[in-house]
Amino acid sequence: MTLKKLGCIAVLFCCQFLLAQTDSTQFLKEVIVSDSQLQRFSNTQSVLRLADSVLQKNQASLTHLLNYNSVIYFKENGLGMVSSPSFRGTSAQQTAVIWNGININSQLNGQTDFNTIATKDFNAITVRAGGGSSLYGSSAIGGSIHLLNNLSFEKRFENTFQMAYGSFNTFGANYKMEIASKKISTQISLTRNSSDNDYKYLDTNKKNENGQFHNTSFNLILGYKINASNLLKIYNQVFDSERHFSGTLAAPSKSKYQDFNTRNLLEWVATQNAFTSKLKLAYLTEKYKYFENALTAIFSDASAKTLIAKYDFDYKINTNIILNSILEYNQTKGFGSNIGNNTRQIGAGSLLLKHQLSDTYLYEITVRKELTTTYKSPVLFSFGTAYSVNSFYKIKTNISRNFRIPTFNDLYWQGSGNTDLKPESAYQAEIGNEFKVKNTTFSATGYYMKIQDLLRWSPGNNGVWSPNNVAKVTTYGGEFLGNYKNNFGNHFFDFTTTYGYTFSRDEKNDKQLIYVPNHKFTAALAYSYEKITAHFQYLYNGEVFTSSDNFYSLDDYLVSNVGFGYDFGKKEALKLSVTVLNIFNEKYQSVATRPMPGRNYNMNLTFKF
Amino acid sequence: MNCSKLFFVALMSSLFLVSCSDDDAKNETPLGSFDNGVLILNQGNFAGGNSAISYLSDDFASFQNNIFSLVNPTLTLGDTGQDIGFYNELAFVVLNYSNKIEVVNRYTMASIATIDTELNNPRYIAFANGKGYVTNWGDGGSPSDDFVAVIDLSTYDVTSTIPVVEGPERILERNNKLYVAHAGGYGYGSTISVINASSNTVTATIPVGDVPNSLVFEDGSLYVICGGKPSYAPTETAGKLVKINVSNNTIASQIDFPAETHPSNLVIEDNAIYYTVDASIFKKTVNATTLPIEALFTTTAQGVYGVYSFAVNDNKIYVGDAVDYNSNGKVYVYSSLGVLEHDYTVGVIPAGFYFND
Repeated sequence: MTLKKLGCIAVLFCCQFLLAQTDSTQFLKEVIVSDSQLQRFSNTQSVLRLADSVLQKNQASLTHLLNYNSVIYFKENGLGMVSSPSFRGTSAQQTAVIWNGININSQLNGQTDFNTIATKDFNAITVRAGGGSSLYGSSAIGGSIHLLNNLSFEKRFENTFQMAYGSFNTFGANYKMEIASKKISTQISLTRNSSDNDYKYLDTNKKNENGQFHNTSFNLILGYKINASNLLKIYNQVFDSERHFSGTLAAPSKSKYQDFNTRNLLEWVATQNAFTSKLKLAYLTEKYKYFENALTAIFSDASAKTLIAKYDFDYKINTNIILNSILEYNQTKGFGSNIGNNTRQIGAGSLLLKHQLSDTYLYEITVRKELTTTYKSPVLFSFGTAYSVNSFYKIKTNISRNFRIPTFNDLYWQGSGNTDLKPESAYQAEIGNEFKVKNTTFSATGYYMKIQDLLRWSPGNNGVWSPNNVAKVTTYGGEFLGNYKNNFGNHFFDFTTTYGYTFSRDEKNDKQLIYVPNHKFTAALAYSYEKITAHFQYLYNGEVFTSSDNFYSLDDYLVSNVGFGYDFGKKEALKLSVTVLNIFNEKYQSVATRPMPGRNYNMNLTFKF
Repeated sequence: MNCSKLFFVALMSSLFLVSCSDDDAKNETPLGSFDNGVLILNQGNFAGGNSAISYLSDDFASFQNNIFSLVNPTLTLGDTGQDIGFYNELAFVVLNYSNKIEVVNRYTMASIATIDTELNNPRYIAFANGKGYVTNWGDGGSPSDDFVAVIDLSTYDVTSTIPVVEGPERILERNNKLYVAHAGGYGYGSTISVINASSNTVTATIPVGDVPNSLVFEDGSLYVICGGKPSYAPTETAGKLVKINVSNNTIASQIDFPAETHPSNLVIEDNAIYYTVDASIFKKTVNATTLPIEALFTTTAQGVYGVYSFAVNDNKIYVGDAVDYNSNGKVYVYSSLGVLEHDYTVGVIPAGFYFND
């Protein structure tokens, strides 16, 4: 066993060296993407890219960004508190968050809390709808969110400093530095957000008590071109946060929750002619502490440490065919107050093929198989085609099988965990239509998904709660994305809209899943004229059920934000902007008994030098 | 909106009055719409703020959900209803996660007061010496901050607290003494504390068995069901039925349950002891020295996982079913032999029955 492992590693290194020995001039692309599968093997699904300019217009949390700019629905336990997405009617555990190509969903609870990601730490954020487990592993069922730090080897030295201040003593600061030469490229980013978050609950005499939070994150990205065919990259992120968990309309709270996450990735890219090989080593840590009473030192905690070794070999057979194989080894150690001390090892192999049959037609096949001693893993696959019918219409089809593996909490929770669990498994089919006419793009995607062996925690007849693979869910719906861009002289307009229509049914009682709206609609209009900018955002969330018998529900809501900016800078940019959030003072709850804030204000100063 | 609600209340009240006045045989004037029936406390979802009270009349002619909010439309009952205690014409509704007690008229549900200071994880309530006594876990993670709060029933203030060992749960009054079962909170308790209501001090501690979960007085003795430590505890223990001589606070007799058996929901009615194990209801005479092997009946035909709440009254057996702990729950009423006679859809997680006669 050990010998075999050593053998494997030796072979990998040999390949790497063989490739490294030879010179090549392949490399001089301007931007080095951090998630190459997202770029190369996502041609048959719907991909929405949110560029830096969109990131800048939104509030600091990933929840806010995606809530106002994508079809993803969010359930937020009050502003800034735990935030869970539902993508295509699935749960937060069925939505993967991919940081520079690495899946970072928690090993403990299987999901990413979207209020623990600061968007200003990234250059771009991409939303990839639909199945992606054959590329990204567990949880990529409803879709995946990609956090990207792309490197550029164009000579420059840029500093950006941003400060924001707003209602409820909300403070934000971000400093970003980029230094690049033809050989070395560096990005450093430091972000701090904090808020008293003591907003008034509209139409009551109560306010959001014990909701204060702060977080700090640090990012370092480094790229070094050893020579024309060898590139070394380092990605590093540290995120530290403390949130008091706010009370509700019916109950006070005195608890707090601390997160501490680190993500580290070392990547060595070697290219030679048609071959590219990447050796990646990632080390992720996550840790939480929960204090039932913030005033005491009594807490429960858990942490997980994950080591990932990945070898990614890419062979461009000819200009039309790319073959990519990936071998991966993943070891996670989890320990905590309630989950004991356990280690999980997973080995995985993937084969990816993209074939451009003609100028207008391509197909992609990806297959992945994981091996682990903890549970049986299905063969994951995706098969997709894209056909450009004419210059303005493209049709895409994709079918895939995806999964979600049981978490450490599911498997090992003291007294409740179930080590006999299987992964949740999902089949999905979709058809996408993309239209592009002059300044307008529009896409309409229909999908159908069946999820089996869904994990549900329920009480056994001895009253002990435990998870079992009991539920089946059928989900189907449509997604519509539209964009219109134009300029009339110096007046620039950019209008983006998304609409999601979602049915997600528990097959047992034929009821809609809780916290999945049938309708979600967003619209955003951005305008600029010389040094003036303005934007308007609009969000409609349909009614959601809050109980599985669909007896209790939360009303639909409409929230609008508006912002204005002016650039005072002469040579360097010095931009001041003011945003009014929830301008129409809509009274709404994202989660039952947890009201969201009414009209509030935010001021932002950006200085580039 | 409010007008229509008021109209509805008026309509409901008149219906009740009509239905009650038909019952001339009892010759009793109802003290309010919710007299002569059972109040069903629906716990609601933890942190969901949806506790609610349902009413079912003794003759099963009237049934109504959400009676608190019907009568008090501007108020929220609270989060995680745990217990209701009756004192004279008052009902004290203990709301665990809200850290408060709502005081209402037990017959009309009209709100009277809210006690929301100096409670921390309140659980159950009893009354003695003209005062209310409420068990509190304190912070769940702290084993040493548990207490019984003493409430002045004229000012509705917590006037003092009595420190007790971890996890005080059910509380019962007899002869100016309070008996507090320490089920253990987040840990596992195994004792009963005796509090003297004149001095408000713990005067005795009776070791009983692991996880005492229900208490009943019968013929001058205290009966206790200990559930035993559950399967996920470091060492699982079986349940026990314990009889305590309260004159000297010692165990008069006890019956052990078979291994891996965890009984709860002790009720004594008409010389019979009732208890439940998982989804089954058992019955024995008070004096029988052995446990019945066969269940009186089981609720599995109704799809009940485990009996969440239980009561016996007037030859009827009441079972509360929490269903999936997220949807509206069910209440089943059986004959004394276990034949299903009525079923009702109540609020979320029916946690207790309080007969309002």
